[in-house]
Amino acid sequence: MFNRNLPIGTRDEFGSVAQAKEKITNQIQDYFRNRGFQKLTTPLLEYKAVFSSMEQQTYQPYQMLDEHGETLVLRPDLTLPVARVMSTTGIKTPVKWYYSGEVFRVKKQLSGSYNQRTQAGIEIIGYRSLKAEWECLTAAIELCQQLAVNDLHVELGHARFVNAVLHALPLNTLQQATLQQALFSKNVTAYQAVIAPLADDPFYPFLEIWPWLFGDFDQVLQQLKLLPDLPELQSILQELSATQAFLQQQFSQQSIELDLSIESPQAYYTGMIFHGYNDSTAEFLFSGGRYDQLLSSFQNTLQPAVGLAFEVDQLAQYTAITDTTPTTLIYFDAASWGAAQQTLQAQPNSSLCLAETKHEAEQIARRTNSKLIDVTEVNP
Amino acid sequence: MSALKIALTKGRTEKQVIPLLEASGIDCTAIRNKQRRLIFNDSPDYHFILAKGPDVLTYLDRGAMDIGIVGSDILEEQHNEQYEMLNLQTGKCHFVLASTPEFDPHQVKRKIIATKYPNITQRYFRSIGEDVEIIKIEGSVELAPLVGLADAIVDIVETGTTLKENNLQVFATLQSVSTRLVVNRLSLKQHQSAIQQLINHLQQAIKTEV
Repeated sequence: MFNRNLPIGTRDEFGSVAQAKEKITNQIQDYFRNRGFQKLTTPLLEYKAVFSSMEQQTYQPYQMLDEHGETLVLRPDLTLPVARVMSTTGIKTPVKWYYSGEVFRVKKQLSGSYNQRTQAGIEIIGYRSLKAEWECLTAAIELCQQLAVNDLHVELGHARFVNAVLHALPLNTLQQATLQQALFSKNVTAYQAVIAPLADDPFYPFLEIWPWLFGDFDQVLQQLKLLPDLPELQSILQELSATQAFLQQQFSQQSIELDLSIESPQAYYTGMIFHGYNDSTAEFLFSGGRYDQLLSSFQNTLQPAVGLAFEVDQLAQYTAITDTTPTTLIYFDAASWGAAQQTLQAQPNSSLCLAETKHEAEQIARRTNSKLIDVTEVNP
Repeated sequence: MSALKIALTKGRTEKQVIPLLEASGIDCTAIRNKQRRLIFNDSPDYHFILAKGPDVLTYLDRGAMDIGIVGSDILEEQHNEQYEMLNLQTGKCHFVLASTPEFDPHQVKRKIIATKYPNITQRYFRSIGEDVEIIKIEGSVELAPLVGLADAIVDIVETGTTLKENNLQVFATLQSVSTRLVVNRLSLKQHQSAIQQLINHLQQAIKTEV
């Protein structure tokens, strides 16, 4: 019954879309190979337990059982398998990986979402310095420039900011959790109700604007003056400001934003978070950040790690190949094979026509709207 | 900056929300005189479409629209991933468990419940430690217990008139429902100041209404 149908949430890709994705993936991988990164490939199938630190609500995996009854999944993430490799193979750090591949997350059925997406990215493992974040951001911006992404916004954030502020508030654990929930879901109505009892608190002027604490980097920093001094925040803000200064120096045209009200993309993030988007995407073009505790879920030693992943499907929408050169077909016979090969090299967007007869070749050229070159005439 | 694209749930929600939008300084004359139109692109600042509630979220999730105005019943039933930012305090009603007077909520059996909202129904019965059989009904849910299809129903009630007219009574009151303003996560970044302004104006308008 289903021999001609695709499962829901999947699609075929061909022609310009498939080629755009291939080109972007290659471009990203070439870029990182040239920066001295090494390739890492992990399997599509993994044990479900590898992904146990991902929040179950945020993804639904495709799962199946192996012959011993263990649950396997089509990988929903590419970072956790890297952590698994690092903790089991004795690879010496520091190390820089690049990868590309498919991840699978089952989305709402019949909603126009796809369950398979292509990511290409890097993991820098073993460097504690902020330079690791900076290499990720440099790569992200340079690649977006190469891929001609217009009006890119680079947004920085920090996984520890929200918690540091929450813990300083005169609230019990339950109230803190309620406030965090309202802040992360940007539920203004619920949020205002939670902060209302704190109207006389020195934190109140800050709390009033907190859900809106995102946008232009300098403006957000200005607004942060409303926040009473917290020693825990100093290192966080220093990291962010140093990074902004670095980016402005390297990429003076680049718009840099700051979001201090956002939730970490995954619970395993511990440091700086970054995202890229532009004015017309419905999803982030790239995401990344630092997760120094990730490896501790697989082994006891802590390894500092920073990663970055591009959403190739999103990028492909901006770089779809629109080659307007008309295609050329080359008709030849056994004697003119060499000439046909030469013409193929010389002629852009050409391909050999493998038809038996000239008449058949002419028909194909008409049908495919191509120009026909007959090399048998040149070499009688 | 380009216009804010708003998906408005058509019908009752639309009628209740238009006065709020107007009080927030948005010209809704075109929607008021819509005839059969579904899309309103005349204003430079706000574009509107009229859609059914569950579809509002689909448009929002795909980024085809920036903002959705939709009932919290649909947000809860559909597992919303976008920012539910504002309770517009209109369209207020609540979920109830209702049936014929003969229904015994304590009867020992696996009850059959008819509803348009299977997820909400399942969550409610799980919260009271019961497992029930759910039958999904698309409309006029009141019929189900009357013709013996189900033991009871879970449905939205505004005044209770429909229940009374069908000789049904309320056995439990579940969560309340109201209209919400939902914003696509990335649109909030792309249109930060416009959305912040809209939310401030709407909050003012809500205060004046209440």
